Amino acid sequence: MANNQMNEKERARTATAEENVYAGVYHVLLVGMYISTALFALGIIRAMMHPEFYPLTASWVRDHYHWSLVLHGLVTFDPMTLMMVATLLLILTPVVRVIVSIHAFAVDHDYKFVVVTSIVLLVMILTCLLGLMGLH
Amino acid sequence: MTYTYHFILFLFGGACFAGFFGALLGIGGGVFIVPIMVLMFHLPMKVAVAASLVSVIATSNAGGSKYVDQRITNLKLAMFLEVFTTIGALSGTVLALYLHEGTMSLIFAALLGYMAYASYATRNFDDQRIAAGTFVNCKQDRLSHALALHGSYHDLAAGRNVDYVVTGSWIGGAIAYLAGIASGLLGVGGGVLKVSAMNRYMNVPMKVAVGTSKLMIGVTAAVGSILFFMAGLIHFVVVGPVAIGTTVGATIGTKVMNHLHSRSLKWLFTAMMLYLAYGMLAKGLQVQFHIHIPTIG
Repeated sequence: MANNQMNEKERARTATAEENVYAGVYHVLLVGMYISTALFALGIIRAMMHPEFYPLTASWVRDHYHWSLVLHGLVTFDPMTLMMVATLLLILTPVVRVIVSIHAFAVDHDYKFVVVTSIVLLVMILTCLLGLMGLH
Repeated sequence: MTYTYHFILFLFGGACFAGFFGALLGIGGGVFIVPIMVLMFHLPMKVAVAASLVSVIATSNAGGSKYVDQRITNLKLAMFLEVFTTIGALSGTVLALYLHEGTMSLIFAALLGYMAYASYATRNFDDQRIAAGTFVNCKQDRLSHALALHGSYHDLAAGRNVDYVVTGSWIGGAIAYLAGIASGLLGVGGGVLKVSAMNRYMNVPMKVAVGTSKLMIGVTAAVGSILFFMAGLIHFVVVGPVAIGTTVGATIGTKVMNHLHSRSLKWLFTAMMLYLAYGMLAKGLQVQFHIHIPTIG
């Protein structure tokens, strides 16, 4: 009987714990989707209002990776900057989702999955490092 | 490239089309949007792959959140397989950065050829397995047992909860790695590979496999996108209409799919993929070997 009660409690705890992970993941996905969609839509409308010539070269794109240029672009509603920030947000959504999951698994004392999910985050960090080292 | 009114509208329309048909097939739009951008808009292969990869994240957020909300997705299984897909995506993207555009077109043609075959040949054994109870009476391998990979979801069609245990975690991991390479190299989600691996080798019900895969492709595509972003290959003016278009198309497609018998559309899809495969083959041969074969349309 006591054993059964323990099991019930354990099951209830696991159930609420899993709910935390699900709820966290769901909210991250929704917020990321809404903000980036809004920015993309604004960028497309702005681009259609002022058709411009854009060179399709990698170096031209990379020339725009400066905080001051991004801030200036956001203030002036520059279509390319708006879509660049939307793209960044979109890329960051899964990254944040992974971080939220690690936190939720840690809160639930599910350490095996803290490790599993951390490996995924490590691969992402490694990717950033390779990109910074100029692997392109 | 002048970013005109027409260009935006046509690219948006093409992406809607890709997302719509992708959703009808139960896959992302990547398989269609890359050939559309390369063959119809004459964009460089790497630019098309990078833009498609970003749109894959968008569809994953939109579709994945729905399955998470309905508790169909198995989050632990997703996290486990993501270890393999992300490493695969990293390998695939590095390959994409160094490979010649023509070679990439040829590999894409091969993928489309395989998909045409798979779309024609796939069958669904789930109903039999639910009835026989084999989803739960299955011996787990050591790893999936240690990680407690199992789950339960409510199947609306069968009208009950379906419990299942996961097995075959190593073969699943290996296929997830391959799917990751395909994602990073070709700008697709790789959902077809992951879903069939989970369903066939890991004892995961079809609906759970689809929901879990939808969530996974976001993380997988993010890894590839990070590298493409840093390389300056993501052209934001191209990405905007493509990402929004695929999401809109996929949302409509998912709604329509519930009222359609996709089986009757199988022939159409097979023909469409063969057509695009031929186009990519022609493009690849032309760019890589300067061989011209007649193109249709």
